[in-house]
Amino acid sequence: MRADEDELRGLMISGLDGNAGDHAALLRLLVPILRGYYRRRASGGDDEIEDLVQETLIAVHTRRVTYDRDRAFTGWLFAIARYKMIDNFRRVRRLQPIDGLEDELVADGFEDSSSARIDVDDLLGTLPDKQARMIRATRIEGLSIAEAAAADGLGESDVKISVHRGLKALMTRIQGGGR
Amino acid sequence: MNTDDLIAQLSSDVPRVRRHMVGWRIAAGLLAGALVSGALVVMAMGVRPDLGKAMHGFPFWMKWGYTISLAIAALIMTAQLARPDSGRLRWLWLMAIPVLLLAGLGVFELVRTPPAQWLAMWLGQSWMSCPWRVLALAMPIFIGLLWSFRRLAPTRLRAAGAAAGLAAGAFAATVYCIHCPEVSAIFVLTWYSLGILLAALVGALLGPRLLRW
Repeated sequence: MRADEDELRGLMISGLDGNAGDHAALLRLLVPILRGYYRRRASGGDDEIEDLVQETLIAVHTRRVTYDRDRAFTGWLFAIARYKMIDNFRRVRRLQPIDGLEDELVADGFEDSSSARIDVDDLLGTLPDKQARMIRATRIEGLSIAEAAAADGLGESDVKISVHRGLKALMTRIQGGGR
Repeated sequence: MNTDDLIAQLSSDVPRVRRHMVGWRIAAGLLAGALVSGALVVMAMGVRPDLGKAMHGFPFWMKWGYTISLAIAALIMTAQLARPDSGRLRWLWLMAIPVLLLAGLGVFELVRTPPAQWLAMWLGQSWMSCPWRVLALAMPIFIGLLWSFRRLAPTRLRAAGAAAGLAAGAFAATVYCIHCPEVSAIFVLTWYSLGILLAALVGALLGPRLLRW
């Protein structure tokens, strides 16, 4: 069961008054809370999570003079936990910035989307006319099966079968790499 | 190390912590640094010979009023930023009061002085050295505050560094007053403030590196 704010705060204040037993009890109660906190936020493995938990426990101990008895304990705790997480990110440099990356991403996206359109046109051109038309209507233009059927004067099951067969043919063509 | 062992080890040393310990620690670092700065002024620059007489006059107390109130406002900021959950800074506007009061005095002074003497009044005899001396005297105090921060937990390191630099600069300017013979408000407003701001800038630049924990 998770300890609540009042209990943690009581133990912290007792620890500040010099009660080592309550201080130890507090640190033990913090372990599952901090593990949960870091598991939800940091992407590292169990070792890295445990390192963060231990570092935070050390900080809670060595920086305990900065706890203001009149304020919320959990607010203070999570401010430390958050700082330790950001500090860890910085050290590991998982968020390394790359110069000009944004410009490249924008340019890449444009190129990708235009070449994707060309690819789709090419691929659909290899299918029988009816299958290509039905895939275009239902998957690219976004019509429902019923709308596509009504627009082309076909039955709904006919549309479904055409789309299904067409996609299956495209799938084997792409996986086989035969272009 | 195993987490249980770590907890056992940490719990073996649990000294009592008095209330307002953050404030006391900051005050201790500040005063230790200020003693070094005071010794530097006495030995390297010399106390102004007419200090006893000047302490009965208005300009001296105008300068001390300005630098001491700035130092207090900066210390309030520093103490807030020394806690991890500092949140929104309160009392920031306090900083504006001494600046505005001194600016008002400066305007009053300019009105009463013929324009031909304005430049001489503004530059005084020491405008070239004053900001640098304030900055130099701020360094021992800044180092003292760095010692204070060793047990504190700032999470906005640049802001905490700037506040500590500002406090160090303002307190250094207070110490510098026992040497500096300048008397005009616009001199103090410009050159003292420049030295104090330089110290704050140094603090802001070094904070992220030196205040990490």
